[in-house]
Amino acid sequence: MAPVEKPLLGRVLVIGGCGFLGHHVVNLLLRDWDCKVSVIDLKCQRNRRPASDGVEYVEADITDSDSLLEVFGRLKPDVVVHTASPPAQGAGAVSNEIFYKVNVEGTRTVVAACHKNDVKALVYTSSASVISDNKSDLINANEEYPVIRGKLQSEYYSETKAHAEQLVLEANRAQNSDLLTTAIRPSGIFGEGDMQLVYHAIGVLRGGNDKVQVGLNTNMFDFTYVENVAHAHLLAARALLVTHASKTQPLDHEKVDGEAFLVSNGSPVYFWDMMRSIWREAGSQRGTDHAWVMSRDVGLILGYLSECFAGLLRRQPTLTRQRIIYSTMTRYYDIAKARRRLGYEPLVSLNDGVKRTVEWTLEQEKSVKS
Amino acid sequence: MGGLKDVLYFMFHPNQLRAIIQWKVWHEPVHQRDPSKEAPTLQSCFKFLNMTSRSFSAVIQELNHEMLVPIALFYLVLRGLDTIEDDMTISASVKEPMLRDFYKIIKKDGWTFDGNGPDEKDRELLVHFDDIITEMKKLKENYFTIIEDITKKMGNGMADYAINAEFQSGVVTVAEYEEYCHYVAGLVGEGLTRLFVEGGYANPALLQRMELTESMGQFLQKVNIIRDVHEDFEDSRRFWPKDIWSKYVDKWEDLFDPKYRTQAVHCSSEMVLNALKHADECLFYMAGIKEQSVFNFVAIPQTMAIATIDLVFQNPKIFHSHIKITKGDACHLMTQSTQNLSLVCEVFRKYTRRIAQKNDPRDPHYLEISMALGKIEQFIETLFPSQNVKHVKALHAEKSEESSSGEMWESLMLVMAVLFFLLLVSALMLGAAWAMGARWDTILSSGPSSIEEAAKITAKITHGEL
Repeated sequence: MAPVEKPLLGRVLVIGGCGFLGHHVVNLLLRDWDCKVSVIDLKCQRNRRPASDGVEYVEADITDSDSLLEVFGRLKPDVVVHTASPPAQGAGAVSNEIFYKVNVEGTRTVVAACHKNDVKALVYTSSASVISDNKSDLINANEEYPVIRGKLQSEYYSETKAHAEQLVLEANRAQNSDLLTTAIRPSGIFGEGDMQLVYHAIGVLRGGNDKVQVGLNTNMFDFTYVENVAHAHLLAARALLVTHASKTQPLDHEKVDGEAFLVSNGSPVYFWDMMRSIWREAGSQRGTDHAWVMSRDVGLILGYLSECFAGLLRRQPTLTRQRIIYSTMTRYYDIAKARRRLGYEPLVSLNDGVKRTVEWTLEQEKSVKS
Repeated sequence: MGGLKDVLYFMFHPNQLRAIIQWKVWHEPVHQRDPSKEAPTLQSCFKFLNMTSRSFSAVIQELNHEMLVPIALFYLVLRGLDTIEDDMTISASVKEPMLRDFYKIIKKDGWTFDGNGPDEKDRELLVHFDDIITEMKKLKENYFTIIEDITKKMGNGMADYAINAEFQSGVVTVAEYEEYCHYVAGLVGEGLTRLFVEGGYANPALLQRMELTESMGQFLQKVNIIRDVHEDFEDSRRFWPKDIWSKYVDKWEDLFDPKYRTQAVHCSSEMVLNALKHADECLFYMAGIKEQSVFNFVAIPQTMAIATIDLVFQNPKIFHSHIKITKGDACHLMTQSTQNLSLVCEVFRKYTRRIAQKNDPRDPHYLEISMALGKIEQFIETLFPSQNVKHVKALHAEKSEESSSGEMWESLMLVMAVLFFLLLVSALMLGAAWAMGARWDTILSSGPSSIEEAAKITAKITHGEL
C-alpha cells in the first residue's frame, strides 16, 4: 500500500513545546503532518526530540517582547500553536502573579509577535474551565455557555485563561492583519508527562485513601487524553490555513477562525470510575465493597477542617472543599462543534489513554526510587 | 403451593404487586381488535399468534387497525420460518430449499406442512399455514411486498447457517455474531420500520438511517443471547462468539463450571459491553415513531432489554439457571413504556445508573462499561437536556448584575448596620441613665440658664494679660 500523504502545515512554531501538552503536539506534528517544526520554551532540556528529527529548539521567555520578536522574525512561522501555561494547580499570591504574567501578558506578546510577522494561524490552548464557576454543574455544556469571568470565577487560573482566550479571539482578522485565530478548550487533560490527574490519583492510592468515595458517584466528568488534545489543535491549525488560503469568508456554521472549541475524549464517565480505573491499572485489586461512601456535606465539613488545620500549620491542605466539590460535581461537555467544524474524533480511547498514562507514571515512580 | 408462595412473595414485595395491579387496572389499550368483524381465517391467525408468542401477542393486538394485521402476519410468517429452521428432525437437504423458497410459499394457496417432528412446539402453525396464506393475500400490496422481501432475505440467511457445518459448532468472531443477530433480529426490524413508514406511523428519515433499526434488533437479540446462555447450553446451542469467551476459558463448558465463575462473569461483562453500544441508537430510533400504539410496540421490548442487562450484569446466576425480570418489574416497565419517549429515557437512565453501581473495578472492562453507560446518559441529555443554555445565560447575566451592583448594596448595608448599632447603643445608654435616675428635666431646662450663669462668671474674670 502506498503511504498516505500527510497533510501540509508549513512552518509550525510550538510555544511551550517542551511542556506537557506542547511536547505531545510536537510528537504528533512529526508523526502525522508534513511540516517544519520549531519550539520555544523557557528551558528546552526536558521532553526534547532527538536531533535527527530536525526540530529547532529556542529558549525564550514569552513575557519578554523583544526576544520573542527576534525569534519570530528568524523562524517566520506560518502556524503558531501556543500551549505555554503554568500548571493549573497551586494557589497563593505568587502563583496568581505568574498566572497573570504568563497567561495574559505572555499571550498578549505572542499575539503581537504574530501580527508583526505575518503569521497565518494562531491556535491557543484555552481551558474548558473558563465556562465553569467551579460549583455549578455543567451538563453536556457547549460553546454557547457564558464564559465565567471576574468575581464569578473562583479560580484565578481560569480567569487568566479566559482573559487570554479573549485576547486571542479578538485578534482574529483584526485591523490590518490577516492573522486567523482559534482557541481549544480541553477538559481534564491527562497523559504521559502529566503530573496532575493521574499522578495525584496514584498518590491517593499509595496513601491508602482509596477507601473513601465522596458522593453517590452519579456525577459524570469529562477527561481528555493529551494526544487527542494535540490532535484537535492541529486540525484547527489546518482549518485556519485552509480558510486563510480561500478568498471568501466561511459560512457561520463552518467557521473555525475567531471561534472556541470544547474538546474532550467524548466519553464522560462517572468521576470515581475514572479514579478506580487508574487505581486498577496501578495494581489495585479492590472492588467497591470496601469503599466508604461519604456524603458531600460531610466531605465539605472535613475539607473545611482540613483547610483550617493546614492554615494553622501553614501548610498546603491535602483535602480542600474545592476538591470535594470537584469530585461530586457534574462537568461534561458536548463536543459536537469540534466534531463538525474541525472533523475532530479522538485518536485514542479513554481506556487506552488511562492504560498508557498509568504505565508511564509507574515507570517514573520506579526510576525515582532507583 | 404456587398460590401460597405468591402470597408470601407479594407480602414482602408490595411494590411488585402494586405494579402488577397498576398495569392490569389502569392500562387502557390505545386500540383493541374486534374479533366479531374478523374472517374465520383471521381469527385463526390470532389464535396461532397467542399460541406461538406470549410476550409479543399482547402488544401486537393493541396496535392500530392499519398495522395490526400486517404485523401479526409478518410475525407468523417469520415464526413459520423459525419452526422449520429450529426442527432438528428435518434433514438439511429438505430444510435448505424450504427456507430459501419460503417467500414463494407464502403465495401458494392451500400450502400446509406436517413434516415437523412431534415435539416441535409450533408444528400446528405450519399444519394450518393455509389460513395465514389466505390472509396474506388480502394484504395491501405494499405491505405484502415488504413481508415477502424480508422473508426471502431471512430464509436465505437461515439456509446458509443450516448448511454451514462450522456454524453448527458455534460462531467464532464478533462480526459473525453480529451477522447472526442481523439475520434473526435486524431483518425483522427492517421489515417493521418499512411497514411503519409505509403506514405513515414513523418518520421516513428512519429509512435513511437503517443503522438505527439495526441497533433496535441487535440490542434485543444480544440481551436475549446473554440471558439465555445456560438454557442454550443445555440445548447444545452456542451463540456467544468464541473470540470473546476464549479470552476467559479454554473450553466452552468451563464457562458453566463453578470453578471458573469469576472468569465467566468477566466474560459476560464483555458480552454486556458489546450489547450496550446499541442503547443510544435505540433511543434515537424511538424518537422517530409518530403514533402511540406503534411507540408502545417498539418501546416495551427495549425497556425490558435494558432492565434485563441490569439483571444479568455481574450476575453469576446466568451460568446455572434461567433468570427473568420479575412480573412486577415487567408490569412497571410496561406502564412506563406506554407513554412517551421522555419517560422511556428516564427508565434507561435509571437502569444505566443501576448497572453503573454494579460495575466492578476488578472487571477487565470496567472503564469501557463506564464509558458505554456515560454515552447513554449523554445521549439522553441531547434528546431531553436537563440544562437549558438560555436559562444558564439568563442566570449568568443576573449574577453578573448582582456582583456589579452588589458592591453598592454591600456598602450601603454596612453603613446601615453601623448606624443601627450606634442608635441601639445610644438608646441603651440613655435608658440606663434614666433608670439610674438621671434628671432630664434639670438638664433640659437648666441648659440655657447654665450658659447664662457661665457667661456671668466669665464676665467676672478680668483679663489682665490680654
